[in-house]
Amino acid sequence: MSDTAAAKTESKARSGQGIVLMEALWNWGLPTITFVVVAALWQFVAVSNPYVLPTWGAIGQSLLNDPGMYWANLLVTCQEIAIGAGAGILFGFLLAVAMAELPSIEKAVMPLIVVVMVTPVVAIAPALVVAFGFGMTPKYIVTGLVVFFPMLVNSLAGLRDVDQKALDVMKTLHASRWEIFRDLRFPGCMPFVFAGLRIAMPLAVVGAAVAEFVAAGQQAGLGSLVTIAAAQANLPVTWASIALLCLLGVLLVSILALIRKRVLWWSDQDVIGR
Amino acid sequence: MSAQAAQALRHADNDVGVHVENISKSYGAGESRTTVLDKVSLTIRKGEFVSVIGPSGCGKSTLLKVVAGLSGADSGRVMINGKTVREAAKDKAIGLVPQAPALLPWRTILDNVSLPITVNPGANRGRNLRDPKELLRSFGLGHAIERYPAQLSGGMQQRAAIARAFVFDPEILLMDEPFSALDEMNRDQQRMGLLDFWQSNRKSVLFVTHSVPEAIILSDRIVLMAAHPGRIAEIIDVDLPRPRNEALYATDAFRDLEGHVRTSLRKVMMEAARV
Repeated sequence: MSDTAAAKTESKARSGQGIVLMEALWNWGLPTITFVVVAALWQFVAVSNPYVLPTWGAIGQSLLNDPGMYWANLLVTCQEIAIGAGAGILFGFLLAVAMAELPSIEKAVMPLIVVVMVTPVVAIAPALVVAFGFGMTPKYIVTGLVVFFPMLVNSLAGLRDVDQKALDVMKTLHASRWEIFRDLRFPGCMPFVFAGLRIAMPLAVVGAAVAEFVAAGQQAGLGSLVTIAAAQANLPVTWASIALLCLLGVLLVSILALIRKRVLWWSDQDVIGR
Repeated sequence: MSAQAAQALRHADNDVGVHVENISKSYGAGESRTTVLDKVSLTIRKGEFVSVIGPSGCGKSTLLKVVAGLSGADSGRVMINGKTVREAAKDKAIGLVPQAPALLPWRTILDNVSLPITVNPGANRGRNLRDPKELLRSFGLGHAIERYPAQLSGGMQQRAAIARAFVFDPEILLMDEPFSALDEMNRDQQRMGLLDFWQSNRKSVLFVTHSVPEAIILSDRIVLMAAHPGRIAEIIDVDLPRPRNEALYATDAFRDLEGHVRTSLRKVMMEAARV
């Protein structure tokens, strides 16, 4: 009898494993198939049209031939994102706090911000280069500008989305504004802040690349590398740089997802994506 | 009888408990203007448990909000232990139990219950603060101290919310239909838990409810409110011996009182329907 019981649990375990396997296939297998098919199509086109697309081999070869050059350019782009996007995120959040606490600030400043934000960044970037030269400053500004708005809007929504009943409890305790911010608004707005960051991270890469397009030449950076190589019809370098920009974006989003999991374990409110 | 009782209470000791004097409040303007509270006067003595019951729209939750200082009144005044609501809040004299537990999901139950002690710490001086752990144990939540709200059932969350209101030893507790979100069996269990705890820690309580048995088993007096405009229709004394327990539900005295309250409620609602 114990034998049959053991057999039963074993078969249960096996079917359990089966489900896990199916899930893994579903989650990883299907996207992998898509990637493989697209990569194969790419290679098929590249082999017969070397002036349209480089082959995977050519891209890899280019990366291996001069890793130091790619690394140096990658670091420049990373620096632009770290400083520019970092400042944009911080400033967007702080302004949201100021607006949530003092509605007059929102009334006064929000229209201007909306006007600035509907102006295409691509159009602002050359003007900034004229004003600030080909150095890092216009790149910081453009990168900061693109992340600023999603951070501001999301943080503001989060700071306003307080649990009204918890706020009532705090008010009957005569909690100060600072105590309400510290204990209620700040932790409570984090799901929205992370949703804002999820939008801001890929945008930061876009901002850095666009700024480098406009001010290519003097300072390096993966975006500059793309424009220079494309102008020389050097497709392997062009696409290797694009691939690195892509990887950078994926990396940033993945790191963010990891941090989110640690910080926001209590929130089931996954505003967008993971 | 109720008019005389109200008269007598108005002359009661002015320094203890809650005095609500001629509170009126309206919303809107012009023809859509509705009077939510019309000259409501009420006294809750020190250590008295008073329930407010009535049809929806009678302003019972608004009354609680005014007493809590969360909503202003157009006229009249509220005094808590001889102080204005604002002063009472400054002294942390008011413990609020909202309709939903409103626990902070990122804090453990212990940290949630400790919140009123850490907030506005200036008012802690000379206060008989309770040990949050001990309090949680006496609420039957000893095993849940380090857990997070999402890991607890709705009934346990609400019990934690009540513990949060008792932990800083406020003079008056305001409870706004605290058990309304629970299913009937759970609700009765939580009700008995509150009854037990309150009977050994008597505080003034203003308890808003829409359950007749709940109002009877818990209260010393039941304030019956009518709607349009929101006003006090009747104050019913609950002369049932304390300490009480579930056995009370089955007594004739309880059933008589329940009949009385239900009849009065029906009368109030019929009148409202006629208007």
